Order: sequence, then C-alpha cells, then structure tokens
Amino acid sequence: MVNIKRKWYQKTLTVLSTLLATTVMLSGCGGSGSSAGADGDAVTITYYTIDSPDRTFVEQLIPDFEKQHPNIKVKVATAPYEQFDSKLQTMIAGGNAPDITSHFGYGGFAEYYNKGMLLDMTDLLKESGFQADKYKIPKNLMDIYQVDGHTYGIPFSSYVTLLLYNKDLFDAAGVAYPPSDYNDKSWTFDKMVEDAKKLTVISDDPNKQQYGLQFGWGELDNRPFYFGAKMYSDDTWTNGGVPSESYFDSPESIAAYKKIFGLVFDDKVSPPPEWSASVAGQGGDPFVTGKVAMSVGGSWNLSGANDFGFNVGVAAVPAGGNDKVRSTLFVDPLFILKDSKHPKEALAWIEYLLQTDIQKQSIELSGGTPPVNQDAAEEYYSHFQSIDPKDLRNVYEGAYQYGYESFNHLIVNYSQINDMMINEMQPLQNGTAQVEDVMPKVQQKMEEILARSKK
Amino acid sequence: MITSNRMQESGVWTAARSRRRMDLTRIVSFILLVIITLIMLMPLAFMVTTSFKSQRETMQYPPTLFPDSLQFSNYTEIFSRLQFGTMYQNSLMIAVITVLATLLSSSLVAYGFARFRGKGRNLMFMLLLSTMMLPYPAIMIPQFVLFSKLGWVDTFLPLIVPAFFGSAYNIFLLRQFFANLPEELFDAGRMDGCTEIGMYWKIALPLSGAAMATIAIFSFIYSWNDLLTPVLYLNSADKFTLPVGMASLTSSKFRVAPWHLLMVASVLALLPIVVLFILAQKRFVEGIVLTGIK
Repeated sequence: MVNIKRKWYQKTLTVLSTLLATTVMLSGCGGSGSSAGADGDAVTITYYTIDSPDRTFVEQLIPDFEKQHPNIKVKVATAPYEQFDSKLQTMIAGGNAPDITSHFGYGGFAEYYNKGMLLDMTDLLKESGFQADKYKIPKNLMDIYQVDGHTYGIPFSSYVTLLLYNKDLFDAAGVAYPPSDYNDKSWTFDKMVEDAKKLTVISDDPNKQQYGLQFGWGELDNRPFYFGAKMYSDDTWTNGGVPSESYFDSPESIAAYKKIFGLVFDDKVSPPPEWSASVAGQGGDPFVTGKVAMSVGGSWNLSGANDFGFNVGVAAVPAGGNDKVRSTLFVDPLFILKDSKHPKEALAWIEYLLQTDIQKQSIELSGGTPPVNQDAAEEYYSHFQSIDPKDLRNVYEGAYQYGYESFNHLIVNYSQINDMMINEMQPLQNGTAQVEDVMPKVQQKMEEILARSKK
Repeated sequence: MITSNRMQESGVWTAARSRRRMDLTRIVSFILLVIITLIMLMPLAFMVTTSFKSQRETMQYPPTLFPDSLQFSNYTEIFSRLQFGTMYQNSLMIAVITVLATLLSSSLVAYGFARFRGKGRNLMFMLLLSTMMLPYPAIMIPQFVLFSKLGWVDTFLPLIVPAFFGSAYNIFLLRQFFANLPEELFDAGRMDGCTEIGMYWKIALPLSGAAMATIAIFSFIYSWNDLLTPVLYLNSADKFTLPVGMASLTSSKFRVAPWHLLMVASVLALLPIVVLFILAQKRFVEGIVLTGIK
C-alpha cells in the first residue's frame, strides 16, 4: 500500500519535473545577457523597427558595423506594423526601452516628443562633432526634427509625394505623358483632371472599368493644404505640434474638400472606395492592378514598381493653388530614446547608416528606400526599370523645393485626429452626405481633441 | 374481423403516410443541411484554392474560385520568404507545452476545490474566479516589468510558464466536472488504500476525458492564435511564432499584401487544429462511455 502511494507521487512528480525541465531547456537558448555583455567591454544597443523586409534589411549591415566598432553589438527587435506602437510603449514602461528607433508605426514624432520619450541629441551631436553636411543631408530636412533649436532626430530616409502613371494606359488612350518638371506652368490640377477624364472608361463589365486618377495627397486632414487652405494655426509648427486653432469649416477648406470628393462623384474620374476594395483587396492599391491611370501618393508606392507588370512613369504633382507647397514629405528620422543607456554608441550606429555607401547599399537591400544622403540619391533615381532617372530626380528635387513635412509626424495625438477624420468623412467617401454639412462637425470634434492636447 | 381488418389496414395506411411525411421532412432537412454546409465551407474552400493562385490572380475581379493554373511553388516560397519552418516549430512547441501544463495545473487545482472541504474554500474560489475579470491589457505592463526583471524578455518563458499556474476558467470548468463524479468511486478507491493524488490521477482524470479534451482544445487554440503576448516578449525574428509572422505579412505598409502566401500560411496553420479536433473527438466519446456506474 505504501508502495502504491509512492508510485503515484513519483509519477506525477516525474511528469511535472520533466515539463519544467523542458521549459528551462527551451528557454535556455535565449538567455544571453542583457545590456553590458560579458565579452570584454562590449555594449549592446537595440534597434527597434517593423518586421518587414524593407525595414529589417539592416540586419545584413550589422556584421560590417560590428567589425568597425568591436566594442558595440547591435540587436534588432521587431514588431508587426499594427503592434509597433503598443509594443514600444510597453517596452518603455517595462524599463526595457530600445536605444534607437523611428516613428515606424501610427504615432509620429510630435507624439513621441510630447510624451517625453526622446533624447535631446543637441549636446551629444556637438560633443561628437556631428556634421549634417558630411552625410549630405539637406538643411531643410535636418530642420524638421528640431524644436526650439534642439535636435531630437536625424533623417535617414525621405519619401515624397509624387504622381505615378501607367504608361500603357496613356499610350492606349493617346494622351501625352505628364511632365516631371515642377516649373512647367501648364501642369495644373485642372489639366490633370482633364487628362483623367480621357483615361476613364465607364463600363458595366468590372473587367473593363478603368479610372483616370486616384488622389492620395497626404492624409485626409492635410489634403486641403494642397489647394492653399490653412488647416492649423501657424504656431503648430514651432511649438512642438500643439495647434492653438484649427480651421476645418472655413470656406477654403470646404471648397477644397468639395474638389477632392468631387473627383469621385462629380467628375467621376476617381474610383469609389467599394470598387478599390473589390479590385485590390482590403488596404491594397488599385493602381497596382493596372486599372487606374494616375496615382498621386507617397513614393513608397514605387516600391515593387519593377514587378507591376506594366510600364510606370513618374511626374510632378501639378499646381493646385498653393504656391509654396505641392508635395507632402515623409522624412523618417532616427531617434535615440531618453532611456537609452548608451546614447554614444547609438549615435555611432546612426552615423554608420547615413554613410554614402551604406545608404546606397540600403536602396538595393530594402528594395527601394529613398536615401536622405543626396550623394546616394542618384543610385535611387536609377533603381526602377521603366522610369527615366531624370524624371525621378526632377520629381524629388521639385518635391524638396515645394515640400512640407506631413502633418502626421508633426501634430500631437495624431492617431486620434486621423481616426476621427476617417470616421467623420466616411459619409463623404460614400457620397451619402454633403461637405457643407459634415465640416462643422469635423471642426467641433477637432477642437475637442486639440483642447485635450493642450493640457 | 372485418372491423379489425379495416382498422389494421387503415393503421398501416397512416403509418405509411406518416413514414412518407417523415421521409419528406428528412429529405428537405438533408438538402437544407447540405446547402448550409456548402455555405460554411465556401470560405475554407476559397482559402485552399487561393493558396494555389499566383499573386496576380488573387487580384482578379471578379475573383475566381478555381485557379487558372496551380502554383505549387507558393508552398515552398513561404518557407524561404518567412522563416515559416522556424515559426511553425516555435508555435507548435509553445502550444504543446502550454496545453500539457494547463491540463496538469488546472486539473490539480480543480481537484482540490472539488473534493476538499475546509474553511475559506468558497472565498478562495471566488478570488480565483475574480481573476477572470481582469482583461489582459490590465496586467500587461506589470507582467512585462516582472518578466523583464527576471531577464525573460526574448525567451519563450513568458509564454509558457504562466500555464503552469493554472487558469481560472479551466479550473472552474474542471471543478464542476469533478464535483459531479460519483462519491462511491472515491470511497472504493479509499477502501483499496489509494491516496488522494492516486485517486486524482487514477479515478478523476481518466473519467474526465471530455472535459480535459475541451480544455486541451481551448488552450491550444488560445496559445496558437495569441498575437499580443509573443509580440510583446519576442524580439528576434528566429523566435517569432506564426501569428507574429503572419501579421507582418499583412501589415507591411509599403507593399501589396501577398494574399496567396497568406492563404498558404493559413492552410498550414489550420492543420494542427484539425488534427487536434479529430483526436479530441475520440476522447469525447470515451469520456461519455466510461462515466457510467451501476
């Protein structure tokens, strides 16, 4: 009887301990030391990015970097795009913050800055003698991530807004290609709509249906800016992204939104949302299916252009009524987080990524990330098979000249603003409401969000 | 005689008529069921056929149910493009250990709650149940602080170890099940000198096949589908689980999502759950058969 007793105890215990032992063994493979490594005085820094091949390519650069800096080890931590921000917040709250990252997720610079997540790099840069000129970073791009003369981020890649067009559809319709030169005065918004009408084919057969233009200039709240309307008060751009006023129900804004949504319902040159979803899938880009002739949007639309299956061209964003601004810029900076224990080493990694030959290499490795280093830019301009490098250079240079950093990087609580805009504008997207009726409500909600940001 | 004959006849007649009506309702319901089944299976079939399409064909409108040509290379591409094999292995390892640990820990605790009476038992049980009301985001950050202090970030431990401490829902489910087992069985066990642990292992567990199978399925699916916890704790790509890898496929802002590869991943991710269901179904039947006491 005693034997039976023992037997059962033993069996259960064996099972339990085996399970525990397996767990310990399994986890053993990942149990290397955290920051200060055991091998010599090597320091480990963490670079946090999105788990996507066009971002994680930096892993291939690490061996070369570590050879040059034997005392620094770089670890890459990743998360899917949707979870990027929540993981970053948890890591910081949990005292496990990465050293370097960018605003790869929904949140932008202003959000990070106002939450006090970022290191003021001004002294660090002075100390190490950092020169933006050495890495050929244009001064106006360097200025974007400065607040009151303090630097909080260093640009490393720069996307602009451009117009992509499907050369095959233009040829078939006998329409001349749009110009890439920003100084061509004949290239206006109205001319673009006129061309788009010639390129639109209305048909009951969904396979023959074709649209002339999709207009994805900036985010929804940026868009009237293109037509010269003012959306946020001027102090926004100097005080770290807290607008004291917004003007979404001004006559200029209303006129601008009427033009934008009129493309779908009055001019009928742009696809309604349900058509886009049906040809390209949720969140997909209908331009890629070859059924849209022109697409205004960020230059990330170019990535994969070599595999689109039709000939792609790039052109200038036409003049729309704003003399100074025609292209939204999406310049991605690298930040050092305030909680970083090794800011110096982090800066060394940033400087490494900005070198001309590394920026050149990154274009190929990432499949077409536009470099911020202007010496490497030439390589980017000739990366796409069907695109004349001259056109792409024109478009980029014009975009810098007529460029403005995207609001989503510069305004606090931007994810809330964006959600609100998408929800409130849903009836306009579907054509079930009038712009005049919707905008006062948008303005009111915007004021509520901004009032919360001011606190 | 005549009357009885007639009665008999009419009886046969009504029986035949009712049988015919029965047949008719049966046929109608059968057809209905087939139609509903087909509707339910459509997305599944679409998933499987899409996994053989080329990327261009996934974009076609109107969509095709059967691909023009079968592109088997999708099934090899996913392994080269996603480190799919590693992720699959990680997910499977974590899920299997989680299931075993959950079964063991939850049943042990549930046995205690079901079979022992003592002061404060109900209070403790209420406390246990109240943990069910804490949503994960509420404990996310404190737990992260704890596990990162232990140095467990970027290991599988935060995903596995909590399973060794039971989970309120499963304990509740098993306690109800154990409490319904006939007392006589345990009396008999005690007469033969079996210990409590022995009775737990030899009487309670074998009779709870159905409940254990349910919990196995629940905890497997939970661990298999969990996205948030691995996203938080795992940093290196070679430790990622399937949901993390698959989320990355759709969430890349700069590309058109490769739906054909996602469908391949979904088909392959579905397999273990199907296998588990088949295995568990057997246990369901066994569980019911064995519970009988005369």
